[in-house]
Amino acid sequence: MSTLAMTGRGPGTGLLVRLAVRRDRVLVPVWLGVLLLVDLASAASVPGLYPTEAERVKAAEAINASPGIVALYGPILDVHSTGELAMTKMTVLYAVFVAIMMLFVVRRHTRLDEENGQAELLGGTAVTSEAPLTAALTFGAGVAVLLGILTAVVNTAAGLGFAGSVAFGASWAGIALVAVGLTLVACQLSASSRTCAGIASGAIGVLFVLRAVGDTTEASWLSWLTPFGWNTQLRAYSNTRWWVLLLYAGLAGALVGTARLLRARRDLGAGMLAPRPGPATGSPRLADAIALSLRLHTPMIVGWTIGVAVSGLVFGAITPSFDAFDSGTVQDLLQRIGGPGAFRDTLLGAVISVLALVVTCFAVAVVNHGGSDEHDGRTEQVLATATSRSRAFLATALVALGAVTWLLLVCGVAIALGVGNDTDHSFGRLVASALSQAPAVWTVVALAVLCFAVRSRWALLGWGIVVLFGTLGQIGELLDLPSWVLDLSPYTHVPRMPLEDFELGPAVVLTAIAAALVAVSWQRYRTRDIG
Amino acid sequence: MDSPVISVSGLVKKFGRFRALDGLDLTVTPGEVHGFLGPNGAGKSTTIRSLLGLLGIDGGTAQVFGLDPWRDAVAIHRRLAYVPGDVALWPNLSGGETIDLLVRMRGADPEAPDSRRAELLERFQLDPTKRGRAYSKGNRQKVALVAAFATRSDLLILDEPTSGLDPLMEQVFNECVAEHTAAGATVLLSSHILSEVERLADRVTIIRDGRAVESGTLEDLRHLRRNKVRAEVSGPVPDLGPLPGVHDVQVDGQVVTCSVEPDGMAAVLAALSDAGVQSLTSTPPTLEELFLDVYRTEPSGARR
Repeated sequence: MSTLAMTGRGPGTGLLVRLAVRRDRVLVPVWLGVLLLVDLASAASVPGLYPTEAERVKAAEAINASPGIVALYGPILDVHSTGELAMTKMTVLYAVFVAIMMLFVVRRHTRLDEENGQAELLGGTAVTSEAPLTAALTFGAGVAVLLGILTAVVNTAAGLGFAGSVAFGASWAGIALVAVGLTLVACQLSASSRTCAGIASGAIGVLFVLRAVGDTTEASWLSWLTPFGWNTQLRAYSNTRWWVLLLYAGLAGALVGTARLLRARRDLGAGMLAPRPGPATGSPRLADAIALSLRLHTPMIVGWTIGVAVSGLVFGAITPSFDAFDSGTVQDLLQRIGGPGAFRDTLLGAVISVLALVVTCFAVAVVNHGGSDEHDGRTEQVLATATSRSRAFLATALVALGAVTWLLLVCGVAIALGVGNDTDHSFGRLVASALSQAPAVWTVVALAVLCFAVRSRWALLGWGIVVLFGTLGQIGELLDLPSWVLDLSPYTHVPRMPLEDFELGPAVVLTAIAAALVAVSWQRYRTRDIG
Repeated sequence: MDSPVISVSGLVKKFGRFRALDGLDLTVTPGEVHGFLGPNGAGKSTTIRSLLGLLGIDGGTAQVFGLDPWRDAVAIHRRLAYVPGDVALWPNLSGGETIDLLVRMRGADPEAPDSRRAELLERFQLDPTKRGRAYSKGNRQKVALVAAFATRSDLLILDEPTSGLDPLMEQVFNECVAEHTAAGATVLLSSHILSEVERLADRVTIIRDGRAVESGTLEDLRHLRRNKVRAEVSGPVPDLGPLPGVHDVQVDGQVVTCSVEPDGMAAVLAALSDAGVQSLTSTPPTLEELFLDVYRTEPSGARR
């Protein structure tokens, strides 16, 4: 513990770091565990999937030939490198998940503490005003370095080579450090923790899109402007450009410096952006629990609608471009998996299933707001008015289920618009492909609602459920898990449209399960203690 | 006499194995301000939350307006306004929005001609355009108070409503309570401060460890209103013991301490004045002291 205390600057920092370690003793290990498990599965699976070098080169060329995949994962710079192929998904896409983890960890220990008043409580003790920022930085940097070391160990153990694995681990640590700095800056800007998260995740989104554009167009210099591009350009597994690591350090340092400057220029609990005064009176429509829940979630729903629409348009637009396939080997490969059309449909299906998982997270966040409204005491005030338990329950459940349905619709329409005329599928079929995920999403959301209905604090378990089913979907097949384990996830049971055809049976069964879960939750919520 | 607004008998509420309420009795009659006194953790908030139908009860009976708070919550809540002890606001809603929301959810109209919203904002000096997250504890309390006082209610349930208010605002609060009772409202006012309840309440119920230990008018409970007097005199220390309403006299050099009932205070002051009083303090007993002094029971440890 003394080492932790020494890494901090200013009185109280060491104490705050220890507090952070204690508060996150479950969250961070679970998140690290999931990331490393997915990483291990990817690293270990390549020799089985592509036993010979010729096959690996073919696979790498196929990836490079598909702008859709390159936009999502980044290119493979050395097609002969086993490590690069094995880390295709990890290099960029999973680095985004690393960044998001750091966003939540850092926000939790800075802006969220200020919003909840815990920082004020600590500010009254012998802790300097800078200590919370320094403590969050120290803790975040510690997690980043730990993640880097563990990733290097896992990849080395999976046989990807020591030096390359160290470079790769360092790139993840670098992304994590940049995300720490970025979130620290974002958390100085607004007094609202939700706005801070919106700013930080928006910035991560922009950095990702910059790289996607840079990797798939003539403007390749764009990829050098973003740390997600550096992950590829580092070339961890062939002729490593070690100096690229300095870029992460430089950017992270600049961000942290900026955050410190901003912190020194604002008051505790305030943001750099002056809060706009709110309306002095309430709208007459804001008169019941459901209207309240809609009002509170509207900014998030708008933000997510834009995010899902842009993702759908971009992925829809880049997936069908297969004219570039004149190389015989790639044509051959595509033929083996069902022809170029099938390959494109597979990609669209993959994009849709990832977006369905992401959209589920939104609903789980809504359910968790219901949980925190309850234990903070806001639900108590609502239920002390002429609001029935049923209405209070529906305010959470209906908004969660309605919002995911809306977002899936937006996703489908955006993909269909993005694909345009370059398809043999009808517009309606592409929209239906996204909506066909709804029964699975509803079931997962209903499980989260059930947790919340059993006990408000259990709403957090909803995140565990999403992570569990998401992990099963992403790596279950790579790990060769028995099919009954894969079948546990509702996402396994919806058809991969547009490649496969819509199946009524699973959709009806999943919808019925979701409805039953909601009914049980409703009953439970009406008969339990509030608080 | 009219049927009581609140009637609770033998109420039991368990959290796991812990009995938060252990056979509580409470009767609040129409039109009265009923003080609900008890140290922290005695079960005041648990009682109130049971009366609001937020908590299910494990034994005994509870009725509000003659209805079951669990089954008929909505009907009961149309007629009451509630101010929680620790007001949590929605971070993104302005104070004005929150006030109107709470009033409308009770089925009332904040813009009705008889609404007192604007006047109350003025009196409590509350800016309604700030966002929920920007309010201090006292201002969060004011938001809930304005929402509760803005329209007429048959019953006001106030859980430690002045804990974050400064003395000036406490005065405004007292006036508001008086105005509402003049208009016929019944008030249940919980507090752990005896003097606050003394100013407002007609009758008082004192609870401890989930039971009512005392209930009656303030006259009935006059033995609870002994002030602790400490005086330093220059002359010979007077013998206060025989004076009426004086208890526990202790003399230490030139310093005398005793507890004095309200009726005995004049005689004590006269005696001290004759003895050349140099300093004088008179403090109302804290609830914990009351429980120690009056009931001679073990002090209640920190609970919950």
